[in-house]
Amino acid sequence: CYTCVVSLHSLRMSIKFPRSFRLLEELEEGQKGGGDGTVSWGLADDDDMTLTHWNGMIIGPAKTVYDGRIYSLKIDCGTRYPEHPPHVRFVNKINLTGVNSSNGVVDIKSVTALSRWKNSYNIRMVLQELRQHMMMKENNRLSQPPEGQVYSN
Amino acid sequence: TDNQKKYFQRMPDRKDLTMFKEEISRRFKAKQDQLVLIFAGKILKDGDSLSQHGIKDGLTVHLVIKTAHKAGDGGSTSASSSTSTQAGSTSTSSPPTNPSSTTGSTGSAPPPTQTPNILTGFGDLAGLAGLGMGSANFMELQQQMQRQLMSNPEMLSQIMENPLVQNMMSNPDLMRQMIMANPQMQQLMERNPEISHMLNNPELMRQTMELARNPAMMQEMMRNQDRALSNLESIPGGYNALRRMYTDIQEPMFSAAREQFGSNPFSALGGTSESGAQPSRTENREPLPNPWGPPNSSNPSESGAASTGSTSTTGGTNPSVSNPLGINPGSLGNGMFNSPGMQSLLQQISENPQLMQNMLSAPYMRSMMQSLAQNPELASQVLMNNPLFAGNPQLQEQFRAQLPIFLQQMQNPEALSVMTNPRAMQALMQIQQGLQTLQTEAPGLMPSLMTGGIPGIPTGGGLPAENPASSPSTAGANPAQQQLMQQMLQMFAGGGGGGSTQTPEVRFQSQLDQLNAMGFINREANLQALIATGGDINAAIERLLGSQPS
Repeated sequence: CYTCVVSLHSLRMSIKFPRSFRLLEELEEGQKGGGDGTVSWGLADDDDMTLTHWNGMIIGPAKTVYDGRIYSLKIDCGTRYPEHPPHVRFVNKINLTGVNSSNGVVDIKSVTALSRWKNSYNIRMVLQELRQHMMMKENNRLSQPPEGQVYSN
Repeated sequence: TDNQKKYFQRMPDRKDLTMFKEEISRRFKAKQDQLVLIFAGKILKDGDSLSQHGIKDGLTVHLVIKTAHKAGDGGSTSASSSTSTQAGSTSTSSPPTNPSSTTGSTGSAPPPTQTPNILTGFGDLAGLAGLGMGSANFMELQQQMQRQLMSNPEMLSQIMENPLVQNMMSNPDLMRQMIMANPQMQQLMERNPEISHMLNNPELMRQTMELARNPAMMQEMMRNQDRALSNLESIPGGYNALRRMYTDIQEPMFSAAREQFGSNPFSALGGTSESGAQPSRTENREPLPNPWGPPNSSNPSESGAASTGSTSTTGGTNPSVSNPLGINPGSLGNGMFNSPGMQSLLQQISENPQLMQNMLSAPYMRSMMQSLAQNPELASQVLMNNPLFAGNPQLQEQFRAQLPIFLQQMQNPEALSVMTNPRAMQALMQIQQGLQTLQTEAPGLMPSLMTGGIPGIPTGGGLPAENPASSPSTAGANPAQQQLMQQMLQMFAGGGGGGSTQTPEVRFQSQLDQLNAMGFINREANLQALIATGGDINAAIERLLGSQPS
């Protein structure tokens, strides 16, 4: 049937389409609790067929000013992910270098480990590296806004 | 570093978090207000339910215990642990004996069968890839795919995790429709009321889907089914009838499948079946979701019902009705398509038109197309689920509009014969490839091609694939793709007869009549002229007059 032929061709073409495949893997990993328990991520909306909008969560590392806090993040994987890094922003207010203090947007280049983005990087890494970033000397003593505040955007 | 522990927690069969939190608070000796539950990047609030967040068996919920002292010394302030929920809640497993019960209790009892069928469906897909094009029989290919898939559970879980698949599966109505649309299926259902019961049981279907997501569970379930099956063998009547039915269709598949699945028959009709509905040893007579055609998925085992009984067999793999869900491979989307299995499968397919021919000539193809044509609603639903359409609403619209025409064409035996003509197929593929190359080489050229939507080529997301670095299916590429598709379709329609005039004859019927009335009684010549002039009567007349001396 024509549909078959056509689908076959589309399949063939879609072979070189890594984005969905990757995001599906990440979706599964997020649900299974990858990332040693200090970060979590998942699709923001289960019906999001484009797998673009994600929730992330970082548990503030101990022995830092972020200890005891749970940070929520919004992560958008655009059409060029994973060739291009995702857009990340904090929902909960945080005082952290590289994070815009008025809207929580993360400048991913300011996180050393992510500044040279590779397509093998993924959402988990983004979250984990942000967490590591919190532990760095330049960050781990910054005074923080009261818990529970969120950016207004 | 933080305190890390993993706990396995049995979930009480309640839907909401309250019980869960109570148990946790007891277990960790912390107050409920100190507990923060996180799943997939979201905080679970009181009043939420596990199923609302899609928390299922085998998935992990993170627990953070907050203490009153923030940033205290030492890491004990927040203990982070992962709890694996063996949820027995409604959305997940339930004991095979009571498939419709929603009170799951434990996760250890694998849900009823359905799943193996789904799995085998995918298995076929994978197995085909590993196939050395040895078998010309499409069904055998399916079996082989299945085998490969069985040995590669990751692929299955990937497929199952595809939200598109889940979405489709979460719509039991759609599933049921797809299955019902198949006349053989209907026959089967008449003969075996359990099947219809099963189909009508959304819980059951969902359970099956859940199970399909978990290959480990699959194995266990299969073993359980094995046991159940042996119990069933003693049940007279129904079992034999079903077996007969299945074995007929599965004749060719038996030998292929036997080695692999000999000892592990899938019980067909899922949990309900216990009673004699189990096709038991029969192999998967379900043609299994055809990866290439969404309509195929509604085509489970049709052949079965029609066939007459013959020898029985063994080593069943999937029971026929095994795949009532008729998982629509078309909707599996890129997740599946990107697997290496699919890739080699595709290569093989395109390199071996014979395979295509065999596939197309499979009897169920025809019936499937028929049922699809009769139910355009179903077809469009199924096709809309195709993820390649997902990002392109324009395409969807176009497709929908063209669908009736498209289906009609499918019915055209000429069209079908073209499909089965390997050389024609090859030529078609070459053309398409050429067009795609053209598109990437000279993108400006494409817009000058015809406009208007064309259904059928869901390459919306795929065409720019020549350039992996760029994102596929950007908005700009879509119109070009549509044009490409339109061209393809036109060529297809035009060449549909490979020289035959059937389609044009239908198309030009009114013109032919007019020519006849004018006195041009040479129908053949009329038709030729009409084809040459694209239906333009005046031009056709001139041709006819010109070709006839005086």
